[in-house]
Amino acid sequence: MTSTLNRSSRRGRSRLRLVSDLGRRVADDQWIEGDEAGFTDGYADPDGRCYPRPDDDRDDGAGWDDGAGWDDGVGRDDGASRHASGPGGHPVAGGRPGARRGRGDARPGGPSARGGGNRARTPGGRPVRARGAGARRPPPRTGPARPPLRLGSPRRRLRAAVVILCLLLIVLAGRLTQLQAFQASTYARRAEQERLHIAALPAVRGVITDRGGAVLAQDVDARSVYADPRNITDARAVANLLAPILQVPADALVAKFRSSGRFVYLARGLDPAVGATVTKLQLAGIGVLEERRRLYPSGSLASNVVGFTTVGDNDVLVGGGGIEGAYDRVLRGIDGARRVEMDPAGRPIPSAASRESDPVPGSSVRLTLDRDIQWAAQGAIADAVRATQADGGSVVVMVPGSGDILAMADAPDYDPNKIASADPSTLKNRATQDVYEPGSVNKVITMAAAIDRGLISPETPVTVPSSMRIAGQTFMDAEPHGVEHLTAAGVLARSSNLGTIQIASRIGSANLETALRAFGLGSKTGLRFPGESAGILKPSSAWDPQQAATISYGQGMSATAIQMASVYATIANGGVRVAPRLVESTTSPDGAVHTTPRDPGTRVVAASTATTISQMLEAVATDSGTAPLAAIDGYRVAGKTGTAQRLGPSGHYSGYVASFVGFAPADQPRVVVEVVLDNPRDGHFGGTVAAPVFQKVMTFALATLAVPPPGTTAPRFVLDRDARR
Amino acid sequence: MTSPTALRSSPVPPRGRIGQLRDRASGRHSPLRRLDWPLQIAVIALSILGGLLVWSATRHREAESGGDPQLFLKRHLLNLAIGLVLAGAATVVDYRILRAYAPFVYLGSLLGLAAVLLVGSTINGAHSWIVLPAGFQLQPSEFAKVALIVGVAMILGEKHDDRDTGIRLNPGHWDVLLVLGLAAVPMMLIMMQPDFGTVMVFVFVILGMLAVSGAPSRWVIGLILSGVLFGGAILQFHLLKPYQEARLTEFVQSNQNTSSTGYNVDQAMTAIANGGVAGRGLFHGTQTQGQFVPEQQTDFVFTVAGEELGFLGAGGVLLLLGLVLWRALATAVDSADSFGTMIATGVVCWFAFQMFVNIGMTLGIMPVTGLPLPFLSYGGSSMFANLLAVGLLQNVHLRARSDPYAL
Repeated sequence: MTSTLNRSSRRGRSRLRLVSDLGRRVADDQWIEGDEAGFTDGYADPDGRCYPRPDDDRDDGAGWDDGAGWDDGVGRDDGASRHASGPGGHPVAGGRPGARRGRGDARPGGPSARGGGNRARTPGGRPVRARGAGARRPPPRTGPARPPLRLGSPRRRLRAAVVILCLLLIVLAGRLTQLQAFQASTYARRAEQERLHIAALPAVRGVITDRGGAVLAQDVDARSVYADPRNITDARAVANLLAPILQVPADALVAKFRSSGRFVYLARGLDPAVGATVTKLQLAGIGVLEERRRLYPSGSLASNVVGFTTVGDNDVLVGGGGIEGAYDRVLRGIDGARRVEMDPAGRPIPSAASRESDPVPGSSVRLTLDRDIQWAAQGAIADAVRATQADGGSVVVMVPGSGDILAMADAPDYDPNKIASADPSTLKNRATQDVYEPGSVNKVITMAAAIDRGLISPETPVTVPSSMRIAGQTFMDAEPHGVEHLTAAGVLARSSNLGTIQIASRIGSANLETALRAFGLGSKTGLRFPGESAGILKPSSAWDPQQAATISYGQGMSATAIQMASVYATIANGGVRVAPRLVESTTSPDGAVHTTPRDPGTRVVAASTATTISQMLEAVATDSGTAPLAAIDGYRVAGKTGTAQRLGPSGHYSGYVASFVGFAPADQPRVVVEVVLDNPRDGHFGGTVAAPVFQKVMTFALATLAVPPPGTTAPRFVLDRDARR
Repeated sequence: MTSPTALRSSPVPPRGRIGQLRDRASGRHSPLRRLDWPLQIAVIALSILGGLLVWSATRHREAESGGDPQLFLKRHLLNLAIGLVLAGAATVVDYRILRAYAPFVYLGSLLGLAAVLLVGSTINGAHSWIVLPAGFQLQPSEFAKVALIVGVAMILGEKHDDRDTGIRLNPGHWDVLLVLGLAAVPMMLIMMQPDFGTVMVFVFVILGMLAVSGAPSRWVIGLILSGVLFGGAILQFHLLKPYQEARLTEFVQSNQNTSSTGYNVDQAMTAIANGGVAGRGLFHGTQTQGQFVPEQQTDFVFTVAGEELGFLGAGGVLLLLGLVLWRALATAVDSADSFGTMIATGVVCWFAFQMFVNIGMTLGIMPVTGLPLPFLSYGGSSMFANLLAVGLLQNVHLRARSDPYAL
């Protein structure tokens, strides 16, 4: 029967049932072993009294529920004895004679028990509910006030344990609910921020090419190596390992490992193979990132035109100067973004989704430059600057009809691949940004204006005194001479300042200014090169008499090399000025070509005037002119020397600016070349230091462009009436 | 009168040995059938789930697994298999016979703890491991928990079931003192490792067993009070190692994740909260797969359940653990004798304390103690000891007096 009862109770046991079972088991106090079965038949104390266990004790009265809790009987049970009757109806007794410490009843309701009262009342005095079949009511105690032995406390404490464990589970479940149900979004956001890295996917920057498509600047795949200092345990060991690979001093690496952030670049723009080597090391706290690096395959070639790039915000390459700067938005494209979830060591989390938006590559830019001519020009000017110990120099090679710039060379130059170590003073474009007083090359404008107005012809006699005095200042030619009887052509060929002043005085300052401005002086050329200067040309109303004289031969005003090249291109182009042009076209990633529109041109002087000037200029590059060194065998060269006093940084004249500008072939001009040497110290005449550079570059350009020799001869004007006489 | 013929004509044919064995194994009263199956199934389910969680947490920890993503899973399941064999052994031998050997079990555990101090290895700052060949490690302090429970149950249960007189007695003062002395030796040895968490397990097991044994209440209350005072003194006079003190004080001054301990708890809570109600899915927890939670396969394995299985999964784990505790408690109640009750009580206290402290730690409501979560955490010694304890529970259950067919 017992087995059946327990079996069924085991199957359908609930917690409450368990609790109620506890009491019953206490009552059902029997030994298992058969040889001790005798004990189960009850045990009486020496007085022969049995103390049946009250029913209420196993139901709602005892232990935890009665409010007395843990300690109601603890310790006071010793020596007390209690008799209980089990479900089977056996009177069961447990107890020992002679209570050691009869401290009284363990129950709070003790007084009633001690007083021999009815045990069927609970501490609260509530009548005990009879439970189970038979509703065994305890008989009233008849013996002396002997406290009953309490055996219930282990069971009751187990009951208490059930409650405690439930409370613990509830606490955990409650906290779990709080975290996962109510604070989940807060923590999820924080967690995402912690592992989310938004990496810019830099758009491939557009390629910059010369007119023939030769690459001057392009993006290449590169790697950067970074550290998360927090994850680096042995800084010195890691630094020693990486230093030879990254070519960075170990001490510098250690310093970076000690930085406070969680990301620091160790090296950038590395070859992908170097990145692979670092990746293979699998160092904790060291990571390798893909990035793009701007490569200038030709090094310093056209660097002053192409410009350079620097790493800007979000590791995006930013154009810094030149075409890279001016066309930055065109070249850059639209960066993509990659959301990567990374673990604390900076590795991508395998299961995390990464979202990407693809970058849109930038447009490519095709320049009007010719790489070969640029190379020749750059080499020639660099040689000349070195040979003459000049501060610098520049060469502009231009196509007169289209305004296309074939070359724009600076010396000294820089390598945009090593921009960090470049001399900052070289990071500019001299031809468009540096202004200088052009000197005698400016005389063509005075001549052209006079001829165009019909004031003179090439053979108009001009008597040149040895000196002139204007507004209290004595003017002299570059080389002292007596009174000379020249023609207008002679004035230009010999580059006589005094003769030019006389011609200019016939034009008048206002008309001269108009002519200067018509040729493009005092305003930007329209090249739209970043940082281009407009030169300095005051309005004629502000000219003092001396300035009115000097401006006629190119002093007292300033211009850029590109402006002067444009003046001669206008003459070469039959008097029609075409704005210079450096960008041939841009090509968007979808292949659409946007050609830069050509300037339709503005007529500055009559075609006949231009032709006449051109013919007059041919005399310069002859033995009777100032620049025989500019002559090119087989070709008719028109040009003009300039040896201008140089306005130094302090505002005083110091040194010279030697220049030569001209075009060839003179009758059918294909190329204009302008050479400027700033402050040459070994020789300073345009005819001796600049003209050879012109000759070299022009010869190369004519050959490159396959310009045939004209087969015609230059007209010869009477230059010096004294000589003819 | 009965003749052999009559016997032969009996309607029930006699059964062979094999038939008898089969009957015994499959019969209504076979020990197999009478095992506490809810307990057994809950334990095995928790252990296998633990294997999955350990697997998920270690799939990408190449540094620790040596490149085999399933290494921890395999070892966890191997530990489970070995542990189940141990549990079977602990079930088959009658626990009352075991009582006779309790002193040897106890002394054996002391030897193990002493050996750790002599030849043990230090892992994670605790000198708790004996490194065996072939990559195995033993943590004697785990087995000492079982030994302590058996030893203390012997003392507290023996008094209850005084066979000479048949009188049931609650433990007296001398018994309590004996128990305290018995517990003090292994606790001191463990404190020297030092393993504060295991010492606390001992404290609560002793307290719980004393309380249930019916020992004088002044002892229970007195021990609790002195424990509180001792704890206060420890903090006041800086008797703990700095990192141990940091763990406790940091817990008190919560939300300061300056040190690595605070960082661990912060990451654990973040991972659990990240799971939400439904979880991210096994192997898809970003915090878990990203290895944000340190020691995740051992002490912080609950965070894997929290993140990848969500509230439903983590709650399920709580329910399964609750089921184990309830069955253990029922075993304590059902036990035929006080020795069995005491064993089951000790196991309940042990499991309950470790479970509450471990999960509470991951939830940020308990200090970081480095106690594993029973059955779920990776770790051989812990698994063996836990399953040994389950075997003892089954042992007591099978021989509960409520069952007349006890072995």
